[in-house]
Amino acid sequence: MTPTLSHLFDAVARNLVPAALGVFFVLISSIPFYLPGFGPVAPNFVLMAVFFWAIHRVDLFTSVTVFFIGLLLDILVGLPPGINAAVLVLVRTIAASQGKVFRGKSFLVLWWGFGLVALAAGGVIWGLTALYHLTLIDPTPIVFQMAITVAVFPFLAWVFTRTHQKLFQHV
Amino acid sequence: MRLAVPAKVLLQRFAFLFLVLAAFGIMLLSKAETVVVEKVSTVVVDVFAPIMDVLSRPAAAVNDAVKTVRGLADMREENVRLKRENERLLVWQEAARRLSSQNQALQSLLDFKPAPNSQSIATRVIADSGGVFVRSVVVNAGDRDGVRKGQAAVSGAGLAGRVSTAGYQSARILLITDINSRVPVLIESSRDRAILSGDNSGKPRLTFLPANASVKAGDRVVTSGHGGVFPPGLQVGRIEVAPDGVMRVKPNVRFEQLEFVRLIDFAGVSPVAPKVDRGAPPKQAASR
Repeated sequence: MTPTLSHLFDAVARNLVPAALGVFFVLISSIPFYLPGFGPVAPNFVLMAVFFWAIHRVDLFTSVTVFFIGLLLDILVGLPPGINAAVLVLVRTIAASQGKVFRGKSFLVLWWGFGLVALAAGGVIWGLTALYHLTLIDPTPIVFQMAITVAVFPFLAWVFTRTHQKLFQHV
Repeated sequence: MRLAVPAKVLLQRFAFLFLVLAAFGIMLLSKAETVVVEKVSTVVVDVFAPIMDVLSRPAAAVNDAVKTVRGLADMREENVRLKRENERLLVWQEAARRLSSQNQALQSLLDFKPAPNSQSIATRVIADSGGVFVRSVVVNAGDRDGVRKGQAAVSGAGLAGRVSTAGYQSARILLITDINSRVPVLIESSRDRAILSGDNSGKPRLTFLPANASVKAGDRVVTSGHGGVFPPGLQVGRIEVAPDGVMRVKPNVRFEQLEFVRLIDFAGVSPVAPKVDRGAPPKQAASR
């Protein structure tokens, strides 16, 4: 069967899904939820998305895409622009380079890896923010946020795994 | 082909380095308060504002539903409380009317120039800083509705923040709890002046309070109007003394449930900012 135009569109659409999910989670991260105490410690969905897709489909999740997703997050949330861009590009590079270690292994290995990455990312975000404001900032909120992010990771990873299987199992 | 693979790897390495450096560059430009960064940020928020507006509606609807159910549960109690409060407020209304007419009479005697009536713009919060190190929100009104940088943002309970950037159809409100927020305030009872300095915690600190100020926990804090950014007399919160002896203010506004804010157009009264002709009155404006 020759690849027709609709096939081409289909392939392009599938390949855009990881990046689109990234943008979607940026938007989810920036809308208000009106839950007392939730805002400051809402899990970092974007970090999870970047980590997962960099391991499984790094070809569809280029550094440039990740950079702009991070920049968009910074701008919409009102952080100093560039912080998440730098951190997410860093996370993507680490996850992509360790992809072989995680692919096909048990979920616990992936979770453990994400825990380490989240810890590092939290540290870098805290350090850069403190540097940006030139004051020592209380690290408690980021510790909480990253703990919640790691705790929520299995649920989102499950959703991503299903998406990944559905989209790319025949490729 | 043999050359292509190392070249690709090299390119990827280069891309990584380049992007990280670019991110740092943008951070530095933003730190230096470059106009370009602010402009681009404003435009990006503007473009995404309609999407966030739509996305935030379900969350708001769920929140409203929860509030309704909770409200139904204690409606009787609430009713009794409100009736009592109403009686009390009627007495105050009487007093306010009397004082208002007396005030007018005295003002005309003194040829007093009152502050111009400020207009306000009602807006809905469409984005909340999910970030851990920033306290700001985005509202669904901008330049076209008469929103200007520096306007005070108030919710029913008191001062929430000020407009830090205004786009065409969206604006960012820097909350009084943000680390960059400084608000000139007055202690209502003692009339001592101080600066309310946000530090990203829920309770901003009271700084530059005179050493001989007679201030105690529970005292009400209002905006002083110094600097001309905020109208004087807006309720901010109540003083709390932290265990380490630091004076903090517990804001009246419950930031996690901030759904609507009014932006007060107060420019033109300050001796610093010259009065500018603002043209036609804003569309959404609802004076109160």
